[in-house]
Amino acid sequence: MIDFIDYLLGGVSSGAIIALMALALVLVWRSTRVVNFAQIGQAMFTTYVALTIRELTGSWFLALIVAMAAGLVLGVLVHFLVIRPVKRLDTSGAIIATFGVLIALEALAAMVWGGDPEAFPPPIENAGYELFGRIWPFSPYDLLVLVSVVILVLALSVVFTRTNVGLAMRASAFNPEVARLSGVRVNRMLVLGWAIAGLVGAVAGVLVAPLSTLSPTSFDIFLVFAFTAAVIGGLDSLVGAVAFGIGTGLVIALVSGYSDSSNAPLVALALLILNLLFKPEGVFSHHKARAV
Amino acid sequence: MDSILQRFSGARLGVNAATALVIWGLLTWLNQVIDPLMSYYLATTAMYATAMFGMTILLGLSGQVSLGNGALMAIGGYIFAVTSMNWQTVPLLGTPWNAVWSMVFAGVGGVVFGAAIGGIAARLRGPYLAGLTLGIAVGVPAIANRFPGLLGGENGLMLQVPYPEGGYASQDVGSEEETEESSEIGVGDEPVYEELPDEFADQGEQSGVDDMLTEDDFLSEDDMLTEDDFLSEDDMLTEDDFLSDEDFSTDEGFDTELVEEDLLTDDDFLSEEDFTTDEGFEASVDAGAETQNGGDAGGGNEFVGGTDPAAELDPAGLDSEFVIEQWQASVAIAVACVVGFVALNLVRGRQGRVWEAVRDDPIAAAVSGISPAGSKISAFVVSSLFAALAGAVFAQILSYVGPGAFTLGLSLSLLVGVVLGGRNSFIGAIIGAVILVWLPEFVLGLSADRGWQDQITNNAPNFIYGLLVVLVVLVAPGGIVGGIQGLVGRFRSDSRTG
Amino acid sequence: MLRIEGLSVSYGAVEALKDVSLEVPPGRVTAVIGANGAGKSTLMRTLAGLEKPKSGRVLFNEEDITGGKPEDIVRKGIALVPEGRSTIPDLTVEENLKLGGMWRTHAQRGTSLTRVYSLFPVLGERRHLGADTLSGGERQQLAIGRALMTGPQALLLDEPSLGLAPLIVTQILELVSQMAKDSGLAVLLVEQNAATALRVAKTGIVLNLGQIVKSGPAHDIAQDEELRHAYLGY
Repeated sequence: MIDFIDYLLGGVSSGAIIALMALALVLVWRSTRVVNFAQIGQAMFTTYVALTIRELTGSWFLALIVAMAAGLVLGVLVHFLVIRPVKRLDTSGAIIATFGVLIALEALAAMVWGGDPEAFPPPIENAGYELFGRIWPFSPYDLLVLVSVVILVLALSVVFTRTNVGLAMRASAFNPEVARLSGVRVNRMLVLGWAIAGLVGAVAGVLVAPLSTLSPTSFDIFLVFAFTAAVIGGLDSLVGAVAFGIGTGLVIALVSGYSDSSNAPLVALALLILNLLFKPEGVFSHHKARAV
Repeated sequence: MDSILQRFSGARLGVNAATALVIWGLLTWLNQVIDPLMSYYLATTAMYATAMFGMTILLGLSGQVSLGNGALMAIGGYIFAVTSMNWQTVPLLGTPWNAVWSMVFAGVGGVVFGAAIGGIAARLRGPYLAGLTLGIAVGVPAIANRFPGLLGGENGLMLQVPYPEGGYASQDVGSEEETEESSEIGVGDEPVYEELPDEFADQGEQSGVDDMLTEDDFLSEDDMLTEDDFLSEDDMLTEDDFLSDEDFSTDEGFDTELVEEDLLTDDDFLSEEDFTTDEGFEASVDAGAETQNGGDAGGGNEFVGGTDPAAELDPAGLDSEFVIEQWQASVAIAVACVVGFVALNLVRGRQGRVWEAVRDDPIAAAVSGISPAGSKISAFVVSSLFAALAGAVFAQILSYVGPGAFTLGLSLSLLVGVVLGGRNSFIGAIIGAVILVWLPEFVLGLSADRGWQDQITNNAPNFIYGLLVVLVVLVAPGGIVGGIQGLVGRFRSDSRTG
Repeated sequence: MLRIEGLSVSYGAVEALKDVSLEVPPGRVTAVIGANGAGKSTLMRTLAGLEKPKSGRVLFNEEDITGGKPEDIVRKGIALVPEGRSTIPDLTVEENLKLGGMWRTHAQRGTSLTRVYSLFPVLGERRHLGADTLSGGERQQLAIGRALMTGPQALLLDEPSLGLAPLIVTQILELVSQMAKDSGLAVLLVEQNAATALRVAKTGIVLNLGQIVKSGPAHDIAQDEELRHAYLGY
């Protein structure tokens, strides 16, 4: 039993980060109906930017802010340079293009920063809290991750449910034609969706780096986790992305704990296959248009 | 050339067979006149082309973006490695095991997994399928970690390339032509190997440990310590090259791995050549292998396959003109030509039209009695079969299988090759394969001239691939072949109107 | 107020509208009637900026708005209620309404919202429910309400009767006609259901295969039996 609690606690922070990454995928999907497979590459790239800033200034917080700004800019750039010109042609073209961006970003990062894994130490203590005479697998850094994710998710939910911009973004996602006829500048909302997704992905990257190592491809596995969570959540549900992001993280932590951490990708794959077989429209989605 | 061939649709089978044979003959001739390094490139190109014929069917004809083909190559490669290392006889039949059977089993494995993945994939569209196959590309190679005993875990397995004792003589060519013509479709590699069982039947299984110790034995016996060549070779092996190689490939991406690999094999080749000029070598290899096998059986280490006491290497064997790269290339070329022949027949026949109909309008296809799901599954099965065969060839080229050889990068590189070459044509797949092999070498050449840092040189090809893929999707969705066809078409209509 | 001069629209080789000219005056309903495929929806979509015309001009208050984007045209004061369910079921009733006219001031939007709720009380009652809980007639009210939230001078209604019970159609159209009289709104109504449309309209225009075959007082057109048989099918 105590093992169970330990494994769950250990999965909380990675689950929260998977939730953020899934959120980024969902934001892009809602705005342009494209799954941005380059999202993890963008997050990896901005995390390298954060590493550089941190090495220059010594400030983790400044590094996070710069990474967020870089993520925003990168998201907008990818949207304008790749997705907007390609989207009208075909969906498989858009998918292939995002993989092209992923390949190019991973190679560019390796060219600039080298391919070897870099350490990205946590800004605060990452050893578990000691309470009731035992050490729990939950550290001050895990708390920082959790608090950051909660703040970001709350801020996003306020934006989406309480502001005109949020309403316009949701309407643009659900029915762009009606949104345009209502006077919403839908194209700007799409750009905004990519920008916010870039920012959210950048935060996820900076937060996850201390938990793994930073190399051009070391985050790839999180793309699989995040995609799994986003799809189970319905791919257009922000709430679903967060809920199943954390859920995916916990399940992976449990399975890894009871067996071996190298099972994690297989667990994600199994979750994804089960979902696609039995609940293909996702748990939180209103739509059923997944099969041909 | 496509259009000319299409006019003779009645004699399609013969024409396709002739095409495959002519290409096979040309490449086989080429393989004999070029130097071993070029043979290595030829082998790799043929291996990529084999896998990408499947991608052409899946992506171009069936319209499904899949990243799972790298994983299916892993399945083919592992089946090849495990069966050839562990089985002395064919189960049920009891006939002696040889590499042909390993290829057959690899193909069967590809079909089974392809049907399973296709069954799920048929229910999905675009991004869901891409995401699922991404998961497969990342997840499936990780299975190796679950079975460190059988599959070698993170370190992978080293295997001895099945290597004929007398090289391949010209009579092989003749018999292969006949068998190839007589077999329309089906698991095409059988005829290619039909002449070979005796030649590599007693090959047995050799693990990398055998290799290492064999070299050591050779060193002490023949006292060649002073030879520079040999020392460097020894260095490579004792630093446990596959571990470092694998690290390198996972860190840097897929094509750097290629570069690394080719350097390795290059070294291998040099040493091999040295050894073959030395008459005593083979005997010592044999002795070393046997001793080591015995030791292995007692030690029971992770290289399960190395415990075969019956493994013998024929000492009389190696033709001094026939080097291992040439042999690998001849295997890869033969497989690529048979697979290409099968693919041509499928695509130019009814099945090709079914795939295209479902891609262009699944509802209309369903109305006219075609099952869209069945069509998608069959595309997956065929492309998985090709991928698994390519994986088996890859295992022979590398003399190794491991999670580090079948990364997400490998899947991505297949996608890159098909998209760049032209996703609707087999010629596009071949062009894509050539690009995948040539560009890293080209960049290496540039870098040598200009003194770039390694991290630039090693990653520039991928950077270029990524940019090119985006560019192709934006301006020429048909890739190089589609672009040329478009230009030719425009030129023709210009000359007609003008 | 809204004037259309020689408008032609093509989809590839198919000409959906050929040299259509008409005028939509304020304070009354102008009805465009015609069979399926006559080009009615194309006309509406082109006026709203969703389709680009091949030739011709659209003038609004003497300003040339031909080929403008939908989001710009609605800001000038032309609101389209498109065919079918043009509400967003994922949003609440009030969110659907608030989507209209975001560029307007807070006070303007407040006034409009109050007015929509007084016109369509059922929307006020269900403001916090999802739009997917509404009936067909209520959704049509919601769609019109959203268009009114943009503070339009011209309202384009594309087949509002589609899939609705006749009684509800009459109610909605009479409300619209009253609104036109009261507030000087210019209403362009496109209908396949000619009888109902001509009852509330002042002017009738018959469209066939993309061309105007007849225009005049709604009453005259409703009486013209030859016309009815030839183009309207009743």
